[in-house]
Amino acid sequence: MRRGFTRSIIAAAVLSATPIPAAAQLSAVPRTPDGKPNLQGIWQALSPAAWDIQDHPGQLGVPPGQGVVDGNDIPYQPWALAQKQENLANRMTADPERKGYMLGVPRIMYTALPFQIAQTADYVAMVFAYAHGVRTVYTDGTPHIRGPLQWWLGDSRGQWEGDTLVVDVVHFTDQTWFDRVGNFHSDALHLVERYTLMGPDHINYEVTVEDPNVFTRPWTMSLPLYRRKEANVRLLEYEPGWLTQEQQATQGGEN
Amino acid sequence: MKTGYMGSILALAIALAVPHAAEAGQVEITGSGNAPQTEAPDLLGGCPAEVVAFHRCAMETAETFEPPRTPEGRPDMGGFWRSRLTQAYSVEGVDGSEPLVGDLVMPWTISPAVVIDPADGNIPYQPWAAPIGRLGRNYDDYIDPRTACGPGGVPRLALQDSSQILQPWGDDQILWLHEDHHINRIVSMDDDGPALAENIKLWQGDSRGHWEGNTLVIDVTNLNGYTWMDDAGNFYSDTAHLVERLTLVDADTIHYEVTVEDPNVFTQPWTVVWALTRIPTPGFELLEEACWEGERDLPRILEEGYKHYFGDPWKTR
Repeated sequence: MRRGFTRSIIAAAVLSATPIPAAAQLSAVPRTPDGKPNLQGIWQALSPAAWDIQDHPGQLGVPPGQGVVDGNDIPYQPWALAQKQENLANRMTADPERKGYMLGVPRIMYTALPFQIAQTADYVAMVFAYAHGVRTVYTDGTPHIRGPLQWWLGDSRGQWEGDTLVVDVVHFTDQTWFDRVGNFHSDALHLVERYTLMGPDHINYEVTVEDPNVFTRPWTMSLPLYRRKEANVRLLEYEPGWLTQEQQATQGGEN
Repeated sequence: MKTGYMGSILALAIALAVPHAAEAGQVEITGSGNAPQTEAPDLLGGCPAEVVAFHRCAMETAETFEPPRTPEGRPDMGGFWRSRLTQAYSVEGVDGSEPLVGDLVMPWTISPAVVIDPADGNIPYQPWAAPIGRLGRNYDDYIDPRTACGPGGVPRLALQDSSQILQPWGDDQILWLHEDHHINRIVSMDDDGPALAENIKLWQGDSRGHWEGNTLVIDVTNLNGYTWMDDAGNFYSDTAHLVERLTLVDADTIHYEVTVEDPNVFTQPWTVVWALTRIPTPGFELLEEACWEGERDLPRILEEGYKHYFGDPWKTR
């Protein structure tokens, strides 16, 4: 069943060529029956961005890595650059990941854990191994719900531009970071994500970051997402919050 | 001790819930389903609401009901659902003699059992296990794992709060998203892939589904036994095996049934049934409900002497 799936989708796409908009660029990627690129499956980034989204030298426990920021420059306002340095100094306690908190967007997209995409005619749902995170990208034409709202994963509304899924994300908390070295944003964060299937097993993920409270101009990151190909791969719950409680309770001799 | 911490938790929840609901708007978003359902309807899917009668009638009705279909030809259960159960409950029911019914802060509602098998409505606990569940040791000594921001577990998730079923393209997975702490379940369909290793234990377990006629059957294994089934501390262990059955009775009603098997805790498999009803509000969406992030109650609850629930009562029996 599982192996036959992609083939039948392609067949269905070929048979139902009429509903595909003429403007769409018909690249040879798997498609859903409504003609959209089929993003379904389990995906994972393999990127040093999980540590640091910029170029960084190696240190014990942190391999050297090449950044994912266009031009490698994050255009912080002066006060914000100082705040980033403070975050960096305090990262062992201040990093939301250390507390088992939801990682926020885009960090949860390139953390070193898999996520699963499911598509219907109206939604692109993303389910994350990290702390049972879930993002529902509404592709049904509905607008953002009215704020102010402060959500850990924001409110996501998407549309297809040709073969690229473009997702507008707003309504963020200021409590999440971009990486483990303290790159951060405010609750005015506005993201535009672009998901482009490059072939059956690669998505090009690009995100433009806009936050007038923290940065002097919008800036962009991009990296590939890879399909997990193991025959037995499944999305398994990783519950850092609960595991933190269990470890504290056990070590504290509470139970 | 018994009613200690729920009061302050509830007060906080109310304080948080009001602005949460008020802020949503524009496209008539009315998610956030913490409001208790207090009115018991007379009919569910054209069947009596009383559980045994509902079960019998729903199974009969479903035999002739032709459900709406997905493009792949499966019964279409897509949409937003909630159960009609009251907020604080026991699957074994709550009768008038229960002191919690008169609780000033969080009164429990008198309600019948949803256990249809065995017929007496009681969970067939082995003798050692009964004093742990059923408003026993779990309830007296441990923090409800849901209060501690733990994943709600099966079947409690389906009983509590709003949820959304998605039937994605390709017919090989079904997503069941729950508003409660944004817990989600991925049900892989007709999955003949290798079983998970026995030592991989999960809060929601490993869910594999298939269709039997118009019924979605979900087999759940690899559970860690860290979750409760209700507010009364009813439980199973990490050897539990659950079989859920979802059947559309009409376009807006699902007959939900789960059979619980755990040879280490119960004397026989047992079954609960209830209805999931479609949320009729136009534009309804699930809202993000964070819990662990910024949690501040736990230190105080722990100070009061309650302990975290990591399955200790059944692990260390």
